[in-house]
Amino acid sequence: MRILLVEDDALLGDGIRAGLKLADYAVDWVRDGDAARLALLDHDYHACILDLGLPRRDGLSVLKDLRRNGKQLPVLILTARDTSADKIAGLDAGADDYLTKPFDLLELQARLRALLRRAGGAAAPTLAHAGVVLDPASKQVSRNGQPVSLSAREYTLLHDLLRHKAHIRSRSQLEESLYSWGEETGSNTVEVYIHNLRRKLGADFIHTVRGLGYRLGDPT
Amino acid sequence: MGTRLPAMRLQSLRWRLLRTVCLAALLGLAVSAMLSYRQAQHEAEELMDGNLAQSGRLLLALATDDPQQLADLGARLATLASAGASRYEPLLEYQIGRNDGSLLLRSEHAPESPLSVAPGYSVIEHDGDPWRLLTLASTAGDFRVQVGQSIKLRDRAALEVARQAVLPIALMSPLLLLPLIYFSVRRGLKPLDDLAADVARRSAENLEPLAMRLAPLETQPLLTAVNRLLNRLRETLDKERRFTADAAHELRTPLAVIKVQAQVAQLSIDAGDRQHALAQVLAGTDRATRVLEQLLRLARLDPLAGLPDAGDIDLAELARQVFAELWPTTATQAIQLHSDDSPLLVRGDAELLQVVLRNLLDNAMRYTPAGSTITVFARLRHGERSIGVTDDGRGVPPDDLPRLVERFYRGREAIAEGSGLGLAISQRIAELHDARLEFENLPGGGFEARLRWPRSSPAS
Repeated sequence: MRILLVEDDALLGDGIRAGLKLADYAVDWVRDGDAARLALLDHDYHACILDLGLPRRDGLSVLKDLRRNGKQLPVLILTARDTSADKIAGLDAGADDYLTKPFDLLELQARLRALLRRAGGAAAPTLAHAGVVLDPASKQVSRNGQPVSLSAREYTLLHDLLRHKAHIRSRSQLEESLYSWGEETGSNTVEVYIHNLRRKLGADFIHTVRGLGYRLGDPT
Repeated sequence: MGTRLPAMRLQSLRWRLLRTVCLAALLGLAVSAMLSYRQAQHEAEELMDGNLAQSGRLLLALATDDPQQLADLGARLATLASAGASRYEPLLEYQIGRNDGSLLLRSEHAPESPLSVAPGYSVIEHDGDPWRLLTLASTAGDFRVQVGQSIKLRDRAALEVARQAVLPIALMSPLLLLPLIYFSVRRGLKPLDDLAADVARRSAENLEPLAMRLAPLETQPLLTAVNRLLNRLRETLDKERRFTADAAHELRTPLAVIKVQAQVAQLSIDAGDRQHALAQVLAGTDRATRVLEQLLRLARLDPLAGLPDAGDIDLAELARQVFAELWPTTATQAIQLHSDDSPLLVRGDAELLQVVLRNLLDNAMRYTPAGSTITVFARLRHGERSIGVTDDGRGVPPDDLPRLVERFYRGREAIAEGSGLGLAISQRIAELHDARLEFENLPGGGFEARLRWPRSSPAS
């Protein structure tokens, strides 16, 4: 799951990035409004955490641009501005959630989960398909009631496929959700993780669509 | 200052007014009493003189050469005298004689004054007392009469008249006047009391202007001054409130850093990640401390009206010191010193001026790209002394220039971290030194930030 973090403060940005990585998100971190705008144009993020007081371009302006371009991704505003007027302006500009500094890392993670869940069209806190259940809060996966042990990458890949049940996910889309900028990616790593998932969840659980990518198998 | 206070008497406007008005009233009363007394005395004396003249003329009409008749007259007049005189009927002493001065008849105690004096009033000494005499001559010119009264007696009568006329007024007036004055003064000062009550009723937070409409004309200048003061106070308080809010806001980010990094350290399994997060916690704490220190420095500077530790300072030497402190440096820019050899003296606090120069240098190092050249300077140009920092970086967008010294303002281009307080502090220090903190994009590119002493400011 790939997140764009927009935060101009070096220490705070570093902390949030580390905190999100602990929850196995791939995090891209930019430090000003213009960079945020470009990153949002170039990449498909699952969600964005946006500071408001930014150099070069204000956070609200970034948000309005984003919505004007028809982008649907959930945006969580994370700022020191704590008046009701600020919150109203932020939410009305298109934000999905609003959190003020200082904040609790666990709360930020929970809010992000809720946003991603909603964006995936689900209200239930767990994702399920063909007897496989994934709980994003506890990061537990089970098959027919039996716990399944997955690596962080395998988990992320499965989460992505479950969130896009009806769609074919290309290799590059899956790679994007696995890795943030600057992380080394092997040429066949996605294939390796798919292979492992099939081994643990059943060969029919993931289908290969030749030339296009992967999708979940039909529910049995 | 405080020792002078006890010596000063508290001045009550009411007592001052009462005292002055009462004194004036009493003085006026005394003068008018005195005049009335004089007038009454004068009238009484004229009355007495009239009596004297009447008696004299009566005697002149009765005067005769016949010794028998004269003796008769004398005897009858003597019985008159013994009838017991009232205060307003003093004893009549007389001499009757011929025009040539020869005496025909005289009362027993009549003064022995020659009859031949010119007719009219005169005052003589008789039995050790002053007497008033009236000498009359008959129209036919054959007789002369002289009548006299003791002035002492006359005065006693006049005094009595005057006293009866004046004393009641003199005694009653103060009794009537003083309460009247008291109540008038009270009533007159009532608007002032109302005003005082209005002020006293106010809570300490209420800095709204005092109502001018109902206040007495005399208090308007005072009210205007007080309102101006209230206004300034309110502005200052507003500024402080805003500042407190800003300061709290500014501490939020470092606190958020500390919290989030501490949580990351808690959640991290990898030892390296944990160490990194803990190092960041410390960095966040350092930053919160720095912000606090700057806030405290600013808070201590604000109330100062002047400089407590002013001395003579050589700006060239100051620039050399700040420059020397830089080394060893981790700066990615080339930093050089350009300082005049001759001393540039100003009056001020060296430590505070170093804070300014360090702030300017710090900003230049933060905001100019690596490889730029930064120059610390102290110079005399057109008779004006200045210290500051020049760089050959990109400068500051013109929109940002006037806002640079606002507290917590960080330019839109700012990517480096900073509290945004350094220039606000520098501005305050500049004000304390009668110097100007100025920023300028140089025509050939680059940026200059300087502290300049205008020519008129007092040199050492």
